[in-house]
Amino acid sequence: MTESPSDARAAAVAERVAGLVSADRWSADHGTAIVAVSPDRWVDAHAAVKAGFPFFSWLSAIDWSQEVSVGDPPSAEDVEERYQVLSRLADVSAGEAVILTTDVPKSDATLPTLTGVYGGADWHEREAAEMFGIRFEGHPNLIKLYLPDGFEGHPLRKSFPLLSREVKPWPGDVNVEDMPSTENVEAGEDES
Amino acid sequence: MIDRHLAAMHHSEAAVAVELQTPDMTLNIGPQHPSTHGVLRLVAKVDGERLGEIEPVVGYMHRGYEKLAEVRTYAQTTALVNRIDWVSGFANEIPFVRAVERLAGIEPTERAQYIRLILTEMARISSHLLFLSSYPLELGATTPLMYALRERERVLDLIEGVTGGRFHPNFNRVGGVKPAAGGGSNQKKVSQDLPKGFLAETRAAMQKVFDVCDEMVDLILGNEIFVERTRDVGVLPADKAVEYGVSGPNLRGSGVRFDLRKVEDYLPYDRFDFEIPTGERGDCLDRYVVRLEEIRQAAGIVLQAVEGIPSGPLQAKVPRVLKVPPGAVYVRAENPKGEMGFFVVSEGSRIPYRVKVRSASFSNISVLPWLLEGALVPDLIAILGSLDFVLGDVDR
Repeated sequence: MTESPSDARAAAVAERVAGLVSADRWSADHGTAIVAVSPDRWVDAHAAVKAGFPFFSWLSAIDWSQEVSVGDPPSAEDVEERYQVLSRLADVSAGEAVILTTDVPKSDATLPTLTGVYGGADWHEREAAEMFGIRFEGHPNLIKLYLPDGFEGHPLRKSFPLLSREVKPWPGDVNVEDMPSTENVEAGEDES
Repeated sequence: MIDRHLAAMHHSEAAVAVELQTPDMTLNIGPQHPSTHGVLRLVAKVDGERLGEIEPVVGYMHRGYEKLAEVRTYAQTTALVNRIDWVSGFANEIPFVRAVERLAGIEPTERAQYIRLILTEMARISSHLLFLSSYPLELGATTPLMYALRERERVLDLIEGVTGGRFHPNFNRVGGVKPAAGGGSNQKKVSQDLPKGFLAETRAAMQKVFDVCDEMVDLILGNEIFVERTRDVGVLPADKAVEYGVSGPNLRGSGVRFDLRKVEDYLPYDRFDFEIPTGERGDCLDRYVVRLEEIRQAAGIVLQAVEGIPSGPLQAKVPRVLKVPPGAVYVRAENPKGEMGFFVVSEGSRIPYRVKVRSASFSNISVLPWLLEGALVPDLIAILGSLDFVLGDVDR
């Protein structure tokens, strides 16, 4: 289903929303409509699409970083250092949905809150705030959600080490099991 | 002092208005409480029997799956994701493997898709049966638990027979499903997939599931106490539910006829007939009845699927070391608890750059402060339980 009707539907949704929020750019790869807006249009863009996409699905972020302390770095070496904030909005009738996204600089990671537009953004913003260190200005209760009160650091930043890996290397790195090979999978006899 | 209180109680019974001094009290509920399905703490301001401001405190079960996924290969991550909502472990794997398959451009085989679909619906039946029986238990009815868990055990046995695990199957692979338990890599030509007699046993088990649904109707919905305690209690209006991202049976209980199985193509649901049950009032009883009806629909889907299951390979061709092309995808699925989805960002290596887990219970209970404010303390457990959340699904 890589080139399915859902791809065409996503492209139509992305183009429509992009016009609605005067977007910088949009994409609809893999059936996922993503529309990018500038940070100062963040709240207005959500207010503009709320009538068509009233369902607040989630909000989160990506830490784009050239240096990573865990995992693999991005493929492009000159990736721009930034936090990409994403929010997924959907309808509850036709099944259309869109992800709005914006970039915030790491030097000043602030973004106005969406809680005035979507009440459901409350907990998602608290999570993104503690995990990435993004300040959502105007949030009524931006305290820690998952982490204990005294916790220092922002665990989902790429600079944050994963302690268990520091102590002990992951056995999975050396012990890659054979995937089922082609002659192994052609059988599949029906037992009924 | 005590005399004055007794006198006040006495007078109030005689419908004499007596002004009692009732300063707000802070009531801590949990983290250890049987009705919280894990460890959830509620800090409630209480004015007499009325709940005021409620602050849910979550995070006791936070395991950091999003961080862990950033250091694991795609195949290793499927072992993690079925621990998010542990009462329907199999269903959790589906949106994740579908997301990876979309990114990698791999199409699972037909037979694998049917097996995934059958086991997903069984996970739904198992999860809903647990709710159907544990919710009355929270309201004080102990008997229904035995009836529902008896049939749930049949369903879990079937899942275990195929996958080798009752709760954490880790059965899905990118491009298909695992060969059956014990098959091994030396089984070249006749890799067995479904255990012998699986299809016949499934038909029998689904019949039992229909029967237990009828029993639950008699036991629960015919029980005046249960109906009194849930009718018009915890009313969640549709617009509030939608704004907070409440999904699944909780959303449908509020009257929204929306089911991702009808609008998304992550599994071939378009080949089967099934209805989307909805409630009318959005109260606790509606949420209960919706799940009861969903079990029947799920059993119907399973029966249709075992009739039409195609033969063929279990696994599409997948490179031995799977490197997923750069890109981002979000795939969502209608899980027993609601919308579960994975936003997967690949930068072209063996491990994902970022995985965002959208779990249903997280959004479902984020509406709790709104829903509980102004409710009565005795209704708290009724409202809490009716949302059918699992703390593993909240805290991730």
